[in-house]
Amino acid sequence: MSSITALGLVLMVLMVAVGGRQGWSAFLSLILNFGFLFFAIILIAFHVPPMAVTLTTGVIILAITIFMGEDNLQTTVAAFWASVIVLLVLILLIYGVEHWAMAQGFGLEDSDDLEGMSTAIGISYLKVIITTATLSTLGAIAEAAMAIAAGVTEILDEHPVLTDAQLMHSGMQIGKQIIGTTLNTLFFGFFGGLLALFIWFAGLNYSFGTIINDKIFVSEIIAVLISFIAVIVTVPVTTLIMIYRKHRVIDKRDVVK
Amino acid sequence: MWKTGWWKAKYKLVIALILVGIGAMVFTTHDQRFYKTPLARVVAVKNGQAQKQTDEFQNVDYQTNQTLTLEMLNGKYVGKRLTVHNTYTSSGALDQRYYPGNQVFLSQLTERHGRLTANVSGYKRDVVLVFLAWLVIFLLVLMMGKAGSLAMLSVCLNAILFYFAIQIDLKMQASHAFLTFSVLALLFAFLSLLLVLGPSKKMVATFLATVLGTSVAMLVSVIVMNLTHHQGIYYESMQYVTQVPRPLFLAETLLGSLGAVMDEASDIVATLHELHEIEPTISRRQLFMSGRNIGKTIMGPLVNVLFMIFMADTFTSALLYIKNGNNWGYTFSMNMSLGTVQSLVSGIGIVLTIPLVSAFAALLYGRKGKVA
Repeated sequence: MSSITALGLVLMVLMVAVGGRQGWSAFLSLILNFGFLFFAIILIAFHVPPMAVTLTTGVIILAITIFMGEDNLQTTVAAFWASVIVLLVLILLIYGVEHWAMAQGFGLEDSDDLEGMSTAIGISYLKVIITTATLSTLGAIAEAAMAIAAGVTEILDEHPVLTDAQLMHSGMQIGKQIIGTTLNTLFFGFFGGLLALFIWFAGLNYSFGTIINDKIFVSEIIAVLISFIAVIVTVPVTTLIMIYRKHRVIDKRDVVK
Repeated sequence: MWKTGWWKAKYKLVIALILVGIGAMVFTTHDQRFYKTPLARVVAVKNGQAQKQTDEFQNVDYQTNQTLTLEMLNGKYVGKRLTVHNTYTSSGALDQRYYPGNQVFLSQLTERHGRLTANVSGYKRDVVLVFLAWLVIFLLVLMMGKAGSLAMLSVCLNAILFYFAIQIDLKMQASHAFLTFSVLALLFAFLSLLLVLGPSKKMVATFLATVLGTSVAMLVSVIVMNLTHHQGIYYESMQYVTQVPRPLFLAETLLGSLGAVMDEASDIVATLHELHEIEPTISRRQLFMSGRNIGKTIMGPLVNVLFMIFMADTFTSALLYIKNGNNWGYTFSMNMSLGTVQSLVSGIGIVLTIPLVSAFAALLYGRKGKVA
């Protein structure tokens, strides 16, 4: 048995042992997300426009992560729409930033890995990096949207007559509680993977100026900062969606009366 | 409306932040004198005909030559002009197209018979980083107030710690890479939790659960990997390695999962603390079960956060492998096997922490409940 299969089995057993049915669906969502991610690579390799792939894969992965993570429909539907809106806004930002930074493809540090490879593959790496930067933030958007939506739902259940301003305030308050630990999650998630690159920089005595203009460093830091922005923006957007949906429910009730 | 009140309270801050932002942008677009590497601005561009080229895997690409007229921005040749050549492909994996106004780094700058010659060695990207960093701070401070500033502070402190740990690792010639970064992980966890939670019992419980959860997960994973003889894990495919890859990979995995485990642990402890406040007589068993219930709902999304970060990183090189005629299995092994292992180990850590942190918090708050 390969180590990956064994580790996967251990994770599955633990998830089911701790989380029961919910644990099983969490494990399943991981596998489905992997499938769609790999499928996205194949589609782009077959020259499907990367932007179309980004949008469809992005929405699918958000849906899988959110709807398979939680059962309460009031929470999940709001979280899903909020995260789709954030996704669209982010794609615009990423599009602008990546065209400005031109940090696509590979850097000098990749030379060893590229030996004997043909890099002129006829697919714009600038479009591909927009895809990767977007995909890497999806998990963070989904998680933040779910946390806010669940929190606001709980508040609505306890105090159904809160005004919009009070609800907005509560949403932002929940955001403040999660922001510290969420930024840390992203920081470690990204920087853990960059350990080898940073050791390379330090070992070869790269100057500060060289590092902050280095193609790979810049592309990674852009991904980190974009995901920070994604999480911050998710907080008010999710709260607004919750407020909007609350009004729709109330209006409908009035019509029935 | 809350927005008008908010604007009244914050407009000075907004204006100050915007002014700081403009200042930072102006500075970074005019910081050439601080660079030792020669910098120049593209003044004019002349593009040649695009040449079609096909590689052995039938990938069609177009290559274009450009002649760039540059104006020097620093060094002793400031203001002088020179022409250089640049080649770009439409895929742009290792090259890029330049436009008038771009700032570029030069290498091999020499003067011969009063004429300058050089090669373009890179594009100046620092302005983008400064802009994005400013945008993050702007949004954090305005929307999250003090909590946002503290979060930023904790990220900055962690970055500084990271820097020192790397220096120490190099000083020791990577002889104890995993140990060095494990100690770093302890410091990271302690510092971040202290900043986010403050010095309290809550913080101690969260810290202990984080450390124990991560350690047990690493131990279990290493045992499983050894039992299966690391089959299917291609350490040689690790990028940018200058040290023995295996301990470095373990250190990367440990650090990568640390934030998520802390996130989860502090969420659970905070909620159990609140439950205890509302109902001081709550039993340990009830607390433990509530902790498990919270853990159940957050573990899925959290594992997916890390999974997307780890896997998106492998996207570009996986695409290159496929376009170079490799099959899907080989592409997965050489690009995504390490990311997958990282995701799985982190996942194990995230799941194992749930019962641990619930038990700690139950012990901590349950006992107090009995006394009261």
